[in-house]
Amino acid sequence: MSAALLALALLAVPAGGNLGPPQGAPLAGEELERETHRVSALLRCPVCQGLSVADSPVDLARDMRSQVRELLSEGYSEEQIVEYFESAYGEFVRLEPKLTGVNWLVWLAPLAGLLAGAGVVAWALRRGGAPPAARPAGPDDALPADEHLASYVLKARELAYGWPGGARPSEPAGAGTEA
Amino acid sequence: MVPLLGRSLILLSLLVAILGAMLAFAAAARRSAGGALWTRRAAYAFAAIMALANGLMVYALLARDFSVGYVAQVGSRAVPAWVAVVSLWSSLEGSILFWGLVLGAYVAAATWNLRKAPADQVSYATGVWLATGAFFAFLLAGPAQPFATVSPVLEDGPGPNPLLQNHLLMIAHPPFLYLGYVGMTIPFGLASAALLTGRLGADFLRPLRLWLMLPWTFLTVAIVLGGWWAYEVLGWGGYWAWDPVENASFLPWLTATAALHSGLLMERKGILKGWTVTLIQASFLLTILGTFMTRSGVFNSVHSFTQSAIGPTLLVFLAVALIWSVVLLATGIDRLGSSREIGAAASRESMFLMNNLLFVLFTFTVLIGTVFPLVVEAVRGVQMSVGRPYFDRMAVPIGVSLLLLLGVGPALPWGRATSEEVRRALLPPAASGLVAGALGLALGVENGWTLLTVAFGGYALHVTLKQLWVPARLRVGSGLGAAAAELLLGSRRRTAGYLVHLGAILIIVSIAVSSTEGRSTEVELAAGESATLGAYTLTFVGAEEVQEPHRVSTIARVAVRHGGRDLGVVEPRMNQYEMQRQPIGTPAVRTGLTEDLYLSVMNVDPAGQRVGLLALVNPMVGWIWVATGIMGLGGVLALVPVRRPQRRPAASPVAAAVPEGMR
Amino acid sequence: MNRRVLWVGLALSVPLVAVLVANLGRDPRAIRSPLIGRAAPAFALPTADGAASVDLTELRGRVVVLNFWATWCIPCFEEHEVLARGAEQFADRAQFLGVVYQDEVEKVHRYLERFGQSYPSLLDEGGQTAIAYGVGGVPETYFISPDGVIVEKYEGALTSRALSALVESAARHGAGS
Repeated sequence: MSAALLALALLAVPAGGNLGPPQGAPLAGEELERETHRVSALLRCPVCQGLSVADSPVDLARDMRSQVRELLSEGYSEEQIVEYFESAYGEFVRLEPKLTGVNWLVWLAPLAGLLAGAGVVAWALRRGGAPPAARPAGPDDALPADEHLASYVLKARELAYGWPGGARPSEPAGAGTEA
Repeated sequence: MVPLLGRSLILLSLLVAILGAMLAFAAAARRSAGGALWTRRAAYAFAAIMALANGLMVYALLARDFSVGYVAQVGSRAVPAWVAVVSLWSSLEGSILFWGLVLGAYVAAATWNLRKAPADQVSYATGVWLATGAFFAFLLAGPAQPFATVSPVLEDGPGPNPLLQNHLLMIAHPPFLYLGYVGMTIPFGLASAALLTGRLGADFLRPLRLWLMLPWTFLTVAIVLGGWWAYEVLGWGGYWAWDPVENASFLPWLTATAALHSGLLMERKGILKGWTVTLIQASFLLTILGTFMTRSGVFNSVHSFTQSAIGPTLLVFLAVALIWSVVLLATGIDRLGSSREIGAAASRESMFLMNNLLFVLFTFTVLIGTVFPLVVEAVRGVQMSVGRPYFDRMAVPIGVSLLLLLGVGPALPWGRATSEEVRRALLPPAASGLVAGALGLALGVENGWTLLTVAFGGYALHVTLKQLWVPARLRVGSGLGAAAAELLLGSRRRTAGYLVHLGAILIIVSIAVSSTEGRSTEVELAAGESATLGAYTLTFVGAEEVQEPHRVSTIARVAVRHGGRDLGVVEPRMNQYEMQRQPIGTPAVRTGLTEDLYLSVMNVDPAGQRVGLLALVNPMVGWIWVATGIMGLGGVLALVPVRRPQRRPAASPVAAAVPEGMR
Repeated sequence: MNRRVLWVGLALSVPLVAVLVANLGRDPRAIRSPLIGRAAPAFALPTADGAASVDLTELRGRVVVLNFWATWCIPCFEEHEVLARGAEQFADRAQFLGVVYQDEVEKVHRYLERFGQSYPSLLDEGGQTAIAYGVGGVPETYFISPDGVIVEKYEGALTSRALSALVESAARHGAGS
């Protein structure tokens, strides 16, 4: 079966007929399989609902994977292979948006969102971060009269604030966490 | 008879919902106690009618009454009873009917739960709930009628989509999803009420949080159940493909999670009220958008129902709900009375803000990616895809940042902290992070992002376990029982929260490892031939055809050996259903402690005894399901009501010793 | 009234709804072929009986009707007659060719024996030609002008009226029109 396939493949025009010369190095063995999987994952199976060529079980996807493997073994680059399928099926077959025209928006928008959001957070923190009056050491640090309770309080402060032994450490001068 | 009865029930529910909503708004505006009472009754009535309508449909499905339109569409004499019941939500009209049931149940439960809350706010909320109910009743009466009369009545029907009959998870995923999705209506109503009355006081904050937490818990489990179902049924070896419909369920989860966190700040410190309310509104709006995406036929997706008139109707409702939300926010947000102070840069408060930033950014990114092909179609007239590679590229940095935040956030103390305190809080867990990273390297993790994820996971795990244990440690002198009691009874909310965090850490790490450290191979085998995948040896024993009532299954029996040990025989199948041309495969998944062996039949020839197999080794996938269970448990724990909520702070000496803002 | 909230809310909501409205009624699964108006991908495939090989470049100067079909495809069976008659009717101007898609050789032989063939059917082992032409299902028929340009892609079973119109349109392409 594979011999006949090979014979017929030789009769057919080379896989990358209208692709031009291969721009990469021919691959083989384990690396070929890995790259086949990777490049197939960038292509959309045209007849499935959203699955990549790597994941889809349908016959067309299997043929496309074989073709990807063949093209890779002849040394074609990822971009050439993706463009080949795009010329046959349209931009639709690229799972990752191409960088043309309005497509830039889908790449830039999240970045813009991040910057805008970070700006809002920074602004909110700046407004709320006005230095309050120095923390009074007195009333807050009073311990209950009951010894048993007091030991609980000290332990709680140690765990909650990280104060060793439950006693407030002396504040170094000028220390602050204001950005 | 049944179709007529069903249609009457639907019309009745529509009437009750419309009148009830009008009454509710009037009662709230006039602060009428009598009006509030009748509003509650209308709510209960709506729920009861919807329950009756659903009961009627289930009866019709079980009785195979093909005079009912929906039963003629999805019913079949050949399928077992559980499939007949589950068909209720398998197709468009039935799923809307089911939506009505869940909405009715939620409205009734919330009405009962809030019967002692301020009447005007509850009445406003009920008005919003019943208005939403009216919309869905309208869908059932008009564009998506399940109870249409069919004439002439046929003898049998086609049965539901075969993919939905393949697995028991079909019973669980949609109900959980609806309980999560539809449930977002309740906090939306409450938030609307707060904006309408301009009050969001302590007495309303707790119900708002609880009624957000409940659907959130269901939605968390539902999303992962969907992934699990896809994993066990679809055969491509993965559990998430960023399909538009998957994203539709994920978007409201993201904003709801952000709302839960900012809601915590809102409850504790009275800040971010307007922001939390905005997030709650957004969660509901995203569920409506999600429903539109799933049912309108506009999005190219695995799950989409076929196009129907329901699309434009849903879009109109979405537009109305958007206008309602924006106007309400614009007019009411300033009256809610948020405190202005947020906190210093390196404090627990600012970490909450970071959390919100990341979640909202995530929401924004997924939304843009999902909707973008439509934008390009409208602008350039070209069809293009935004698929998995894009979403993965965006999700990975955000996910890893969230994992880091899961560690740094709970470690930082509240309020202003000195750099000494910050250092003391943040440095010790780094040791765990390094150990985890080293462990990952030793176990063969090669991917850079995954290694970082594992390291951050170790860091976050250290912090979370330490924080989880804090209340118990204070009681450990009194014995383990007292420690457990403190965790589960005294500090339940805190324990629940950290349990959820624990689950989240586990999920993020498991997703990272299973996505990048797996292996796969595709082979063609004749009977007796073997293939290897890592340490596994797979031998094709043989194929046989099995005739079942509704399908012909070809089972490929594959013997599995790992290392030297014999692990038995797995049986992936290829199923040919009567009504479908393409056969549908059922993969065989062997879940182990550290990894899954996943076998999927690509093609099989029982006569020639040949099989084409796709074999995958997926590490840590089982942990994703376990971690979700932990998260769900945490959610449930948080919902268990606390006794004597007003007096509890004084009852515990521990709590009294630690000032309110520092817990 | 908080103006900022209002404007931000509208700025987010209105474009979203607008995009959704603009896409209503469009079927996302109908993909338009990018090959229309471009040169037809070359191929040289063996005929079903194995007797000869057909090379597309040798067919310049005539319209080529390239029909992708399969024995398991019901609409293909429905258009079989239409194509047979079309092949006879346009024999002077057009070369009709069938290309088998995702099928088995024995089944193809049996089918052709049973239903006859008025023009050669080609075997596309490995599906590379189908992929080159962007075939997603069957039946799909490509109308190629005498100067080798794909003028139209027709999806679904052909009617004689559509067939005639498309053959004429392909014949006219480039020929001084």
